[in-house]
Amino acid sequence: MLRSDQIMATVEMVQKENLDVRTVTMGINLLDCRQGSVKATCKSVEDKIEEYAHNFVPKCNEIAMKYGIPVVNKRISVTPAALVGAGFDVNDFVLLAKSLDNAAAKAGIDILGGYTAHVEKGMTRSDKALIASVPRALAETKRLCSSINVGSTQKGINMDAVAMMGDTIKKLAMNTADSGGFGAAKFVVFCNQPGDNPFMAGAIHGVEEADVVLNVGVSGPGVIARSLEKIIKKKGRKNLKLDDIAEEIKQITFRVTRCGELIGRQVSRELDVEFGVVDLSLAPTPKVGDSVGEILQILGVDDVGAPGSTAIVAMLNDAVKKGGIFASKAVGGLSGAFIPVMEDAVLAEAVGKGALSIEKLEAMTCVCSVGLDMVPIPGEVDAATIAAIIADEMAIGMVNNKTTAARLIPVPGKKAGDVVSFGGLFGESPIMEVRNVNKSGRFIAWGGRIPAPIHSFKN
Amino acid sequence: MSKQMVISVMSKDRPGIIADITTVIFGLGGDLADLNQSVLGGYFTMILIAEFDNTVTPEDLLAGFSHIDSETKIEATIKEMSKSLETEKEKLPLETYIVTAQGENRKGLVKTMGEFFYSRNINVLDLVTTKEKQKYTMIFQVDLSPISSMNTFRQDLQNLADTENMDLVLQHNDIFMATNEIGIQLHTIIEN
Repeated sequence: MLRSDQIMATVEMVQKENLDVRTVTMGINLLDCRQGSVKATCKSVEDKIEEYAHNFVPKCNEIAMKYGIPVVNKRISVTPAALVGAGFDVNDFVLLAKSLDNAAAKAGIDILGGYTAHVEKGMTRSDKALIASVPRALAETKRLCSSINVGSTQKGINMDAVAMMGDTIKKLAMNTADSGGFGAAKFVVFCNQPGDNPFMAGAIHGVEEADVVLNVGVSGPGVIARSLEKIIKKKGRKNLKLDDIAEEIKQITFRVTRCGELIGRQVSRELDVEFGVVDLSLAPTPKVGDSVGEILQILGVDDVGAPGSTAIVAMLNDAVKKGGIFASKAVGGLSGAFIPVMEDAVLAEAVGKGALSIEKLEAMTCVCSVGLDMVPIPGEVDAATIAAIIADEMAIGMVNNKTTAARLIPVPGKKAGDVVSFGGLFGESPIMEVRNVNKSGRFIAWGGRIPAPIHSFKN
Repeated sequence: MSKQMVISVMSKDRPGIIADITTVIFGLGGDLADLNQSVLGGYFTMILIAEFDNTVTPEDLLAGFSHIDSETKIEATIKEMSKSLETEKEKLPLETYIVTAQGENRKGLVKTMGEFFYSRNINVLDLVTTKEKQKYTMIFQVDLSPISSMNTFRQDLQNLADTENMDLVLQHNDIFMATNEIGIQLHTIIEN
């Protein structure tokens, strides 16, 4: 048997620090579902998802029960729908969206991702139709998530697509105005979108993937926060340096990742599905004690957004990657710290206090693993300003050779400081102030492309 | 011809005790197989399996141990085995779990847990207990193969925790292997 102190340390992590596996996401290739008609294609899509996923949720629950570690979310990602529905018009894509929604419901899945187009260099007619369908598709379905990749380090940023994103988000929010613009919470714009990310709303099953794979998202900001509190209490602040803190984060991430991969591999074995990657992300939830913002506070900034916040996120992101990469056989997805405003109670609180601005959040996204995530903004912010915020975020990703994303929610009828709540894992937050509104229209009106940066030419 | 003997030894702990005991075994031509040793409360205990020539008797060993210089007399029990014991590392059963139990120290805690497992036909594979101040911690490695419903078992464990005012936690052994054994690749845990 192992040493008793090792056993008790693990018990503490699992039971008292609420270790869980944040998501197991089944990626399903739908490219072979395209049939001669829209109706036949939709049926083929539903049949294929049912074939692979009918036993997915029960199996995850069974393994979670066996190991005593909850699998919080069971999700499905599919091949970007713009490819599956090549040649479809807007109405056809809405039908496809509804089929995906039905298939998710049948599989007992709450969220399915992959209503997606990759348009970083140019847009096909199908891409344009899919983008145009997004405001209806997400408003008329419950479980569907959509993402559009508008930029990459290799190809630059498609500014025509970025301009369309501003309009799409506005329309989406208006179409779901009775739920506070919730539709926009299911829509995310990417630069360098990975094809194996298991986290929503940006999960897709990339075209480079096998027919079916299982990706796991481990999380655990609460586990890290509690272990940091413990080490600080045990050794005393004066006796610790930041490199000691980084080392502690690495050690904990190692354990968290090993648990996640163990469970993911068991599920994949039981379902006879190829195991993909572990995404080593710190993904907060609105639950008290499950916050990335809280880690920043423990590490020394009184409010998230205060000077030093960016440096702490950089250290956190790096330590999480280092601990996880050693623990896992295959790492992928986003892998790092998420800072989604509405989904993190401490971040939302900082917004309410005026400590965290969009500009500071943007700076922090230079060193976190995703971007401007779950950011509620006033409903009256114009489409060009939203597009310009997205362009800035995409530029960070493009130049820094990393994934960035923007999930902005213009909440209809609300202004800065008002509170919006979506409940559950989507959380709540005061609306963030957007400064310099209506000043970027001429920039967005250019269209065209921002060329890829010089350091992308490595071939 | 040779034979196996199981030898159990207890004595007050001191430097050199292992050397003295194994010298006696070596002197009688013994070949050590598996050995387990631990020190508890200043007392040294060791259980080992060794192979000897057929002419060696338990009395020869006891006589050898009696000459070892020790603060307390070396107590030894020796059992000759009629057939060879399996000393290859045995695989743990698939349903090996760890139950940790913590509570305010009082008499009968281990007995309570032991009866709980016994009444369900559960074999305890390993047990470590420690007392720190007034907190008593028990770590049971158990084989849950006889359990048909994990839900019911977890509920029974929770009921026991409530009635006995203890923290009882059940986790699969693989979780501890995965989080603590750096050298083990996960697929070997899963495939075993």
